[in-house]
Amino acid sequence: MRRFASHRPLVRFVVRRLAALVALSIGITFIAFALTQVVPGDPIRANLGQIAQTQPDVVAAFRHHYGLDRPLPVQYLRYLWNLLHGDLGQSEQTHDSVLHDLGQFAPATAELAITAMVIAIVVGVGLGILAAVRRNRPTDHALRLVSLGGISVPTFWLALLALYVFFFRLGWVPGGGRLDPGVLAPPHVTGLYTFDALVAGQWSTFWDAFRHLILPSLVLALFNVGLLTRYTRSAVLEVIDEEYVQGARAKGLPEHVVVLRHVLRAAMTSLITVIGLAFANVMTGSVLVENIFAWPGIGQYAYQSATALDLPAIMGVSLFVAIVYILVNFVVDLLYGVIDPRIRIA
Amino acid sequence: MSELTPTQGAFGTRVSLRRWRAVSGSAVWRQPLAVVGVSIALAWLLIAIFAPLVAPHDPLAQDFLPLQHPSHAHLFGTDELGRDVLSRVLYGARLSLPLALLLVSLSLGLGLVLGLLAGYFRGVVDGVIMRLTDLVFAFPAIILAMVVTASLGPSIRNAVLALVFVSWPTYARVVRGLVLSTADSEYVQASRLIGASARSALFRVVLPNVIGPVIVLATLDLGNAILLLAGLSFLGLGAQPPAPEWGQMVSQGTENFQYWWLSTFPGLAIFTAVLAFNFLGDSLRDIFDPRTMSGRGS
Amino acid sequence: MRTAVPIVTVLAVAVLAATAAGVAQSASRASGTLVVDNSFVIRTTDPQREFDPTGSIVAHAMYDTLVTFKGSGTKPVPWLATSWKATNGAKLFTFHLRKGVVFSDGTPLTSADVAFTFRRLINIKASGSFLLANVTVSTPNASTVVLRSKVPNPALTRILANPALGIVNSKVVKANGGSDAVGADKKDKAEKYLDANSAGSGAFVLKQYTTNQQIVLEANPRFWGPKPKFSTVVIRNMTAPTQLLNVQRGANEIALDLSSRQASSLKGKSSVQVHIDPSPNLFNIDMNMSPKVSPVTSNPHIRKAVRLALDYKAFAALGGPGSIQAAGMVPSVFLGALPSQYAQKRNVQQAKAEVAASGIASPTITLTYPAGLTINGIDFGVLAQKTKANLAEVGITANLQGLPVNAMLQQYAAGKDQMTQSYWGPDYPDPNDYQVFLPGGTAALRVNWKTGMDKPLEALGKKALQTTDDVARASLYRQIQRKLNADSPFIPLFQPSQAIVASKNLTGAVLNFTWLIDVRSVGTR
Repeated sequence: MRRFASHRPLVRFVVRRLAALVALSIGITFIAFALTQVVPGDPIRANLGQIAQTQPDVVAAFRHHYGLDRPLPVQYLRYLWNLLHGDLGQSEQTHDSVLHDLGQFAPATAELAITAMVIAIVVGVGLGILAAVRRNRPTDHALRLVSLGGISVPTFWLALLALYVFFFRLGWVPGGGRLDPGVLAPPHVTGLYTFDALVAGQWSTFWDAFRHLILPSLVLALFNVGLLTRYTRSAVLEVIDEEYVQGARAKGLPEHVVVLRHVLRAAMTSLITVIGLAFANVMTGSVLVENIFAWPGIGQYAYQSATALDLPAIMGVSLFVAIVYILVNFVVDLLYGVIDPRIRIA
Repeated sequence: MSELTPTQGAFGTRVSLRRWRAVSGSAVWRQPLAVVGVSIALAWLLIAIFAPLVAPHDPLAQDFLPLQHPSHAHLFGTDELGRDVLSRVLYGARLSLPLALLLVSLSLGLGLVLGLLAGYFRGVVDGVIMRLTDLVFAFPAIILAMVVTASLGPSIRNAVLALVFVSWPTYARVVRGLVLSTADSEYVQASRLIGASARSALFRVVLPNVIGPVIVLATLDLGNAILLLAGLSFLGLGAQPPAPEWGQMVSQGTENFQYWWLSTFPGLAIFTAVLAFNFLGDSLRDIFDPRTMSGRGS
Repeated sequence: MRTAVPIVTVLAVAVLAATAAGVAQSASRASGTLVVDNSFVIRTTDPQREFDPTGSIVAHAMYDTLVTFKGSGTKPVPWLATSWKATNGAKLFTFHLRKGVVFSDGTPLTSADVAFTFRRLINIKASGSFLLANVTVSTPNASTVVLRSKVPNPALTRILANPALGIVNSKVVKANGGSDAVGADKKDKAEKYLDANSAGSGAFVLKQYTTNQQIVLEANPRFWGPKPKFSTVVIRNMTAPTQLLNVQRGANEIALDLSSRQASSLKGKSSVQVHIDPSPNLFNIDMNMSPKVSPVTSNPHIRKAVRLALDYKAFAALGGPGSIQAAGMVPSVFLGALPSQYAQKRNVQQAKAEVAASGIASPTITLTYPAGLTINGIDFGVLAQKTKANLAEVGITANLQGLPVNAMLQQYAAGKDQMTQSYWGPDYPDPNDYQVFLPGGTAALRVNWKTGMDKPLEALGKKALQTTDDVARASLYRQIQRKLNADSPFIPLFQPSQAIVASKNLTGAVLNFTWLIDVRSVGTR
């Protein structure tokens, strides 16, 4: 094992990270379980009808079925056991299994989050490079103001403002939801309507889904555009005066080639890390943005189940988002390790 | 996965001791953005302190005709209960600023203690604390905060508690990193050699070196704290009526879209307050990181 | 890189502008589609299990009931039943079914389906099951249904119009796990099927139900009645502010959740029509009668003081245009409503005197309200703040306690609220529904007002239940409400108005008290 490992640092690295991932996931289930124990709501009242909860035998059967009559550690193990079988319980509001709900709502959020991330990365990194290249010139100062403004605007407020201006006043985009009423969702492949519509060759559906996507994803992206602009600027500045960059310049390569080929690659390691952070921001923002744009995603589901004290749904959402989040970071870690071999040793 | 989030504070400020020592207080004042930031922040702070003197009316008094347009009598108009919106926005500073300060200092306090312990004792202590930070980091702040406030019941106190719960790990990580680099310095090695106790080394040598940069980090985090608290209140999970809280006022305004002044002014209040701290933070960051410094010709 | 500035900085705007090109296209959505924007309150599209506003709109469109109401009316008219008679002192009801009605799958509708539906409703013990309390059903032949009530039940024909009593196809429902037997609360598994399909004879069938998102209905080609004008109806989940923006831009669109204030701001716009009608909803204050829960609210002087302290005009103003002070607990639009001259008047001086007479120094109350809940565009938090301010004027301190709706309902149902900012929406348009406010009734128990605590009032209530003549009933209910106003745990505040805003070209967008809006009778000019 040792030989194997020492010859394959990347494999060892991946295995180590995978082990950590599993340990972390178990920790997350523990936190999710612990949280539900402090919820004051009584699951019996919440889950049984008004009449049913006055009948002792029905209540007892319910408690037994969900193991509520057992000691806490046993309840936790039972919970883990159910999780392993994909049983996240049943949501009190939707009357469907939480797993089914997540399957229904997750693609909506994924579509929004991915679009917002792509916009944030393209625009943020682009503006960041621009600011670095134009360091201390008016462009840089202007971009600094804009990006600081971007991270200072309350997302919920911006969402309202954007909806008011671009939908109501100007009528450029539709007002909320994923599709116009009457437009049916494309055949399910990934649940991302734009993608699925393209796969099915339904151009008008694609266009409709795209128009609905654009405003919420721009709003969601803005905070990260600001963040990424500042990050990219400093990451680029860290390397822009390094010798090999100077060397490339000396060779007479055009500035944009130098920036794209050498500087950006060198700045990549710090950028990848930030993108992990940006993902967390997008999840936070989506709770607020989905609410305002009537976007039927995980954010709304989380909000609705949290305010309705829908225990299984709350547990399910937190688990799901946490696991997606550590998976994203796992991938970021791997990319990091691949790009910069020194990290693996650390 | 302890490298999951690097030792970076708000906006990726890299904290290194060398740079911290190099910072001279006066450098801040040479940055125009910092001056603007400090001025706005100071203005809000003064408004918060002297709210009863500055505000034209009682923020809770339902004395006026409801839903009046902004006018000379009511610069920001009145809300549906006939309260003066300007007074409510001004009084809002009394909630948002101290609560953001409280939130940040609590997270900082908790993070400082745990980070010091982890960095100084290393080994098992370090392992346990760092795994804890990994766990908390795995939950997006607002979802975890939503669950916590929904569980404990919505109130501004619980919102702060929930946000402390999700934000201490950043500080713990940064402090740990700083302690690790300080503890390896020759000075500490030497003080250990001459037999100084662990505790005295921790307090006499490590703490002073760590506290400065961390406090700067915390300043940068104030803007974020204001945003998160306002966000929770917007969702109805933070401040409760009739308290004049900015996020909650925006949320009330959204029910009455046509009365634009109800949500516009509190929204602007949040924006300017957060912007002030971000201006200040970004300038501090530049001073920390001379290579990216604006205003220094190259 | 020189060109990068304009390119990147205008990127966002450019994308938005590009999508603007699609506006014309979006307006050309299928012209046969009606869009109803509603803040969803729906658990299921199973008619017997639904008992909420959105559920009622949908169930009413897909499932036929024995009788129905025309437009905004509350008088039962024939629907599946062509005629009926009530005998034996409103205890025996005989209904004759319409001939030739088939379900959407072609199966003929018979009395067996009616019996199955009613028994299923009773036995699944759902929220709407109480509608048929003490009622048994029998079927002498395929086109006759007989209902027997243990107690006189003059409200029964009105109850039968409730969408929870929409007739389902018994064969299909049974084949998909449905049960009407005793114990159906555990055995019946048809909800899942009925959330994805419909099994009714109504004007529409269920095409798609996406939780928290939208419900798509399609015209039922086998519907026996007049063909609906729209072949597709989409009911979308939207918050009120979004509805306000949508309805002004949309075509064939109806917004159901605007406050009357939002709605009246749209009056005079060329694209929409605005209807503001009195709503049968009632906003009220509940005070706990148990000294253990609150020695303050259980004191009759304090209850009197609260009654005198409240600024009813200001509350009605909060409700927006069209809102009126509620004179009694029965809404003005129903039989037996109390005329407005009996409405409580504000008197701060007298209220202060009552506080002094109570012997309680600096009385303090916790006022509980459902946080974030908005009904008819009125936020309970705003009402609670008004109550707090009014009570402060007479020297009563009210501490606000806003709870998430579920947590609030739990505490309320357990009778633990000291004072509640409350609300009542009718289950059926008849004053009998308001018996819940008499001692021992469901609502009264939540404030610990138990049987025997006001015997004369209880006797009046019993008498009203046994009376079948509407004039006599109306007079009895007026007496009851005057007693309730004199001293009871309940203070009626105001009746809001229900706003319906629709695209200018639509017809038939009128309010109904039981199912909000009848989508099958909405047409175009």
